[in-house]
Amino acid sequence: MKNILIFLLFFYLTANFGFSQNKSSEDQCFSCHDMLGGKPAELFKNDIHHLKGISCAGCHGGDSTSDDMDAAMNTRKGYTGVPKGDAISEKCVSCHSNPEKMKHYGSALPTNQYENIKSSVHWVNAIDGKEHIVQCITCHNAHGIVPVKNPQSPVYPINVPKTCSKCHSNEVFMRSYNPSLPVDQLQKYKTSMHGVLNSKGDSHVAECSSCHGSHDIKEVKDINSKVYPLNIPRTCSKCHSDSEYMKNYKIPTDQYQKFALSVHGKALLEKKDINAPACNSCHGNHGAVPPGVESISKVCGSCHALNAELFSNSPHKKAFDENNYPECETCHGNHEILTPTITMLGVDKTAICSKCHEENKNKKGYLVASQMKELLVRLETEEKKAGVLVDDAEQKGMEISEAKFKLRDVRQARLESRTMIHSFDLEKFKEIVDGKGLTTAKLVNEEAKAAIDDYYFRRYGLMASILVISIFAFSIFLLVKKIEKKSKNNS
Amino acid sequence: MNQLKRFYSWIDERVQLSDLVNYMAKKYVPVHRHSIWYYFGGLSLFLFTIQVVTGILLLFYYKSSADLAFESIQFIMSKVQFGWLIRSIHSWSANLFILSIFIHMFSVYFEKAYRKPREATWLTGMIMFFLSLGFGFSGYLLPWNELAFFATKVGSDIAGAVPVIGEPIKIFMRGGEDVNGATLSRLFGFHVALFPGIFTIFLTLHLLLVQRQGISEPMHFEHVEKEEKKRMPFFPNFFLRDLLFWLLVLNLLAILAVFFPSELGKKADPFASAPAGIKPEWYFLFMFQSLKYLPANILFIEGEVFGVLLFGFAGVLWLLVPFWDRKSSRGQQNVLINYLGLFAVIFIIVLTILGWVL
Repeated sequence: MKNILIFLLFFYLTANFGFSQNKSSEDQCFSCHDMLGGKPAELFKNDIHHLKGISCAGCHGGDSTSDDMDAAMNTRKGYTGVPKGDAISEKCVSCHSNPEKMKHYGSALPTNQYENIKSSVHWVNAIDGKEHIVQCITCHNAHGIVPVKNPQSPVYPINVPKTCSKCHSNEVFMRSYNPSLPVDQLQKYKTSMHGVLNSKGDSHVAECSSCHGSHDIKEVKDINSKVYPLNIPRTCSKCHSDSEYMKNYKIPTDQYQKFALSVHGKALLEKKDINAPACNSCHGNHGAVPPGVESISKVCGSCHALNAELFSNSPHKKAFDENNYPECETCHGNHEILTPTITMLGVDKTAICSKCHEENKNKKGYLVASQMKELLVRLETEEKKAGVLVDDAEQKGMEISEAKFKLRDVRQARLESRTMIHSFDLEKFKEIVDGKGLTTAKLVNEEAKAAIDDYYFRRYGLMASILVISIFAFSIFLLVKKIEKKSKNNS
Repeated sequence: MNQLKRFYSWIDERVQLSDLVNYMAKKYVPVHRHSIWYYFGGLSLFLFTIQVVTGILLLFYYKSSADLAFESIQFIMSKVQFGWLIRSIHSWSANLFILSIFIHMFSVYFEKAYRKPREATWLTGMIMFFLSLGFGFSGYLLPWNELAFFATKVGSDIAGAVPVIGEPIKIFMRGGEDVNGATLSRLFGFHVALFPGIFTIFLTLHLLLVQRQGISEPMHFEHVEKEEKKRMPFFPNFFLRDLLFWLLVLNLLAILAVFFPSELGKKADPFASAPAGIKPEWYFLFMFQSLKYLPANILFIEGEVFGVLLFGFAGVLWLLVPFWDRKSSRGQQNVLINYLGLFAVIFIIVLTILGWVL
């Protein structure tokens, strides 16, 4: 009843007002709708467009200067009502892709959003052919649009995770577009260091758009995506290598530099091997945190499974746990993991083992480390020697493919022995180095030497056979001469 | 020496060897400025014998299946005592054998030794020449390496370009649509059984004809008095010279086998793409290179088909030369024959060099 009375009063006032003053420079749509109340008008009050003097007609069409409802909402004057589907974004684009118009309203915003979104996964993956997955209002709201820097904006950094999760945490909705895509990103994000700080109101920390982009979001498998494996280190380093940006977080900013030098970084960034680990492989992606001491071996072990298993069953496991040493990291480092060399093993000053094992301290380990090194040095020397001999035999044109194949077994044994180091069990280590590596290397050496000896034997044999054949040939030559001389004399 | 004579007498008493020696001693070989070419017939026989001996030795270890052929050659080259030497000599003597029969064939051609009454000798020789090319083609695939595989593919494709009969010939050669294990088995069969069998028949005929008709004299001998004709006994004079030549070639063979042993390359992979620069063996190179220079279409037929037909026609013409060169048979000089032969020699040499270099 109250509403009816308000409507009648509004109708009376507007009718009289219209009668006396038919045209006005004011936004008559907003005046009426504001008077009528309702969420759209309420929200529109603080909308950046309203504040910039853009009327309702800017999006809905019609004549906003007319206080006559029929005239204002006349389709002949371009009134479209509530735009639907792609028509929504088209309305936005009509200004936001027009630099002149944007300049007119004093905006410094870029005008390429439409171009960007056209190539994004949200635009490309439309399923019904009528409209695309998202419209501008999906993320920016409709009537209460405020600048991105305004904490009220749904795309203000602190609000972005919630905005994205409206769809991305909705299993039913997501199933229509990408059934295999997880929907727990927000949950994971909340557990990440980024998410924790974000929830505390830190707008500096990474949210969805920091890594995925905003208008130009691509699928992860798209090589142009910011989160395509090859691009991840660069994406993370945008913030994490910026010492100015990171100064409040008190963490190092040299991770990218170190990673680029590491065996993983070289594989990923130089060899473009997308199976090599990027930042997210160890730190997680949506739930990114630095792995704790206790979980480092699990993180590394997800790829280096055998090494991790051997280490877990080794006597070092207990010692490391008791001393709170991060397992793999203690010997191999973290971001700058280099290809392990033999210098890491043993008891000399450069060896890592010597950090804990000395001749008079932790003596057993000292002895094991020293013997392991000795064995590995022998294997490497024998492998090199065998390789040189095989190359030599091959260059001499000898058929040496079997020895060459066996040489691969020696290399394999050397690689296996490097893995077996993680067991820190001298007997198991010997089994591989001695049993497989050195025995096979000896065989290869023998075969290659035999091939080289054969090469010289062939040459000496050739010389001998040429000599014998030539003597025979010369004898025949003399015999022919003798016979011919005899027959000449006879004739 | 006495021991040797006693041994000879021991044999002679039992098989009357002196009859054969006396028979051979009564056979004469004409001596003139082109006599050197006579030695290439004997050399071809010597190299063929080496082929047979080394081929039999290789057979002890070779396995003719697509899965095992390459590995068996690898085994021969690395594990079998002197296997490398046997294979290298087999391969080099094959090349020298074909070179020798090329020289023998052209010397007979230029000397017009095919003229009456030796038409059949020429025909049997030519058949052996074609069989030798068949030996080369079929033997080339046996190591089942990459080069051999694709060369056989290209070679059989060229044979397939002949109109009407080409396709059936190609399928017969390959033992199916593609070059595969069936082709290997088939070409192995040709190489070690069919071709040697046929070759032996024609070789026997050829040698019988040479024995029966004697060694051909040059045309100018017809105008020389019998007493003035220079000649040497076949045995022991010519035979010993032959033997000397064989020994020199044997030395050459040993040097080639030791310094340039046969390579094996990579095992054939039917699913791999053909490596760049696939070429046939040198004795097919002139034909292969000629086909490359032909335009896509000549008159109303494909260039390649035209080329194959042209070579086929030239081959038939060459084979039948004793029958259309009537002048030589009448003892008259036929300059056209010389020009045609010269053109063929220059053509083969130039195209082979171009095929080798380009």
